[in-house]
Amino acid sequence: MILQTLFSFAFIIYLFYAQRIQAMTMLRQIETSLRKIKSYRDKSRETAIEAIKEYGKPEKDPTPQVERFMDHFMIPPVDMDPSGVVQKLGKILNVREHTFQQEVEQMAPEATVPQRNNLENLLEASLALNMFYKVIRHYYLMGKKTMNIYVIMQIHMILPMLIQQIEAYSAALQAFKDGIPIGDSVGPIVAAKLINGAPTREVAKEMVAGEIKFEGRRVIVTKAFGPGGSVGKPGDAIQNLIEEENGKVRMLITVDAAGKLEGEDVGEIAEGVGAAIGGPGVEKYKMEKAAIDNDVPLYAVAIKQGMEHVVAPLVEELMEATDKAVSSVKGLILDYSDEGDTIIVAGIGNTVGVGQ
Amino acid sequence: MKRMADSDTAPLAGGARQNWISLGLMVVVGAIALASLYMGFREYGDNNIETAFMYILIGVSGFIAIGFSFFRAKPVAKTKTGPKEVEVVTTLECPQCNLKRVRSHQVGDYIFKMDEPCTRCEGHMTITRINARKDPKKKD
Repeated sequence: MILQTLFSFAFIIYLFYAQRIQAMTMLRQIETSLRKIKSYRDKSRETAIEAIKEYGKPEKDPTPQVERFMDHFMIPPVDMDPSGVVQKLGKILNVREHTFQQEVEQMAPEATVPQRNNLENLLEASLALNMFYKVIRHYYLMGKKTMNIYVIMQIHMILPMLIQQIEAYSAALQAFKDGIPIGDSVGPIVAAKLINGAPTREVAKEMVAGEIKFEGRRVIVTKAFGPGGSVGKPGDAIQNLIEEENGKVRMLITVDAAGKLEGEDVGEIAEGVGAAIGGPGVEKYKMEKAAIDNDVPLYAVAIKQGMEHVVAPLVEELMEATDKAVSSVKGLILDYSDEGDTIIVAGIGNTVGVGQ
Repeated sequence: MKRMADSDTAPLAGGARQNWISLGLMVVVGAIALASLYMGFREYGDNNIETAFMYILIGVSGFIAIGFSFFRAKPVAKTKTGPKEVEVVTTLECPQCNLKRVRSHQVGDYIFKMDEPCTRCEGHMTITRINARKDPKKKD
């Protein structure tokens, strides 16, 4: 009888408080993740400060500057009138890049250029982790304050995907601190393998190009200037190279890392058309514009990888995939161009730990 | 910049206190479940199948709930968790005699860097690969 009453009582309680119990369970799970994210964020800040002290030999403690940097933000341009929005975004991104360079220069005056580039990337990873932490904390505290299940559910539902991204960013700390190539470096590695020690020259900001002969064709290969962490300005490089050739370019091949779908193998190579380049879209726009204005067909080679590989130290499968991608690029050149043609190949991605 | 305090992520019912409440609840549920099972088997012995079934159901549900709580509960990290570092190796190759050498990654290594002199011939070894060592425990 007592048990029956208890059972009925529990049922009635659950009937009225089920949502609250669910909200509390979800909040508890978010809280556990938030602690993990906080430890990642703190570790990233410590790593950045250590690296600045080690390479930059600053006179004063860089901690306040690093903490200020971690709250840096960028306001995207207004897109109600889309005309010229790419140029506006490009300008803002240039200012951001310049600001980051200046900040790092002040924080680490003794660091070499590649070290400064790596520190800049390291600080960007810390900034991203700080942003993730703050946004998740915002929803957690708001959910805790209001006990509104819909506020809590919003963050709870996307938490596994966010954790995946956060773990990827935290893996980047080791890579940028020690100058280790990352998953995104596959494009520059393919380009460097094609250049194969040929002399290079600067073709745009932080972009170099080398010329090789392949089966009677002239192949101009461009990549970001390494080995410091940089993606360069591939759009500008391609624009300048096409201009130099007076538009007489038979084909433009871009090689880049691409997100793999679940079930696909890491290091799978796929060929396609279009400009293989990520980012905010400014460089892609420049590339497409230069290609369309000069009637240059765009071909792409993608090296598939998971989100956890993109900024983490390069894994063996991806290193091996770069050889396959080189063969793929050569195959495309042979299939779609003739002897005497000029071809541009661009290795897109971060060139950390990759020379030319 | 304002340092983010630990209290931002304070547990809902206040850290250790919450653990005691959870433990207390589990003990109460366990006791009820045990008593219920006892009653269930006694009723079964008296041939009251319907009542026995209800008691046993409550008892089993109680133990399932406790088991589920244990399964879901994550141990509180005593040490600070953080991102794990992977072991990175550098592969050097001599372009003249094809001698290959693999060593741990050193700061300053980069792919296509002319590094140390070759131990077999007069040439210089070039870094051809830098990659994370495969974790043998990790499945693809």
